[in-house]
Amino acid sequence: MSHGHVNPIDHPEVQMASRRGYMTGFILASVLMALATFLVSSHALPPFALLLAIMACAGFAVIAQVYFLLHIDISEHNIWNTVALVAFIPLFVITIGLTWWMFSQLYLRTMPMIPGMPGMH
Amino acid sequence: MSSSETVVDPDKVRLWSEDYEGHDVISTRTFGFWMYVLSDAMLFATLFAAYGVLSYPHSYYTGPTPAQFVAPWYTFVQTMALFLSVLVYGWAMASLKDGNKSGVINGLLGALVLGILFLALDIHDVMRLVAAGITPEVSGGLSAFYCLTQVHAAHIFAGLIWIIVMLWQVARKGFTEDVVGRLISLRMFWQFQAVMWVFIYVFVYLWGYMS
Repeated sequence: MSHGHVNPIDHPEVQMASRRGYMTGFILASVLMALATFLVSSHALPPFALLLAIMACAGFAVIAQVYFLLHIDISEHNIWNTVALVAFIPLFVITIGLTWWMFSQLYLRTMPMIPGMPGMH
Repeated sequence: MSSSETVVDPDKVRLWSEDYEGHDVISTRTFGFWMYVLSDAMLFATLFAAYGVLSYPHSYYTGPTPAQFVAPWYTFVQTMALFLSVLVYGWAMASLKDGNKSGVINGLLGALVLGILFLALDIHDVMRLVAAGITPEVSGGLSAFYCLTQVHAAHIFAGLIWIIVMLWQVARKGFTEDVVGRLISLRMFWQFQAVMWVFIYVFVYLWGYMS
């Protein structure tokens, strides 16, 4: 591909913009966030089910945004962005997950885990 | 171009392009900026990890926890301000596709106003908490909470400045290759803030509220 003397507006990166796609991503993410807020503020479910439900809301909202807004798909123009994201996701998950795992095990062995415990020494 | 009957004159045939067609600058910059966006997400990953290990009951010492001070519907309004700002920025990019300059400027202005609304709601929320004595130095849990949410707010602030710069550049320079490339980078930056906000809203505000 060469765009040296071509109008930059004709570039595929510009032409992939889509009003309908952006609107779809907005509506899906907003509805999922409203649902999560409603579930949490009304305590509609027992705590663990509630946690799973809001995690599902977050997951689908992020997928909708990444697909409809950031144009992460397997089209010829976007495939390398997608590859980079796919390679990135394990780093993101491992950074958070291993840190959390390490500290949760540490706390289990060293901290008094009673909620509302008055002070520690 | 040349059918099999055409006799090719070796002295006149042209085997290369007359002029240098250049790199695909926009694609190269856009991919580079996407690399930046993903490394910025790693910054957020470290802050999420810090919040994760500092949101145990003992992390709040005996002080206030998010369950006591988070107002879910207030923060939902903030969420909508940010999502709408991203949507309106998307409309600016759709106008760019049609070469519609006033459409781009109106979209950027709309995204700017809604982004300022998001930041104003955030600052108002922080002032409410500070007035109630809920400040970062109270406990490790609150430090992590403030750090994560306010780093996101700082990204929004940087994005707002960038939007103002792009308004000026679109008005002054028009749709040159540089300006169009920057509009695309800003689109990714702005949409990425909405993606990170989904994680912050659900896993910090909502989860904190229900814990």
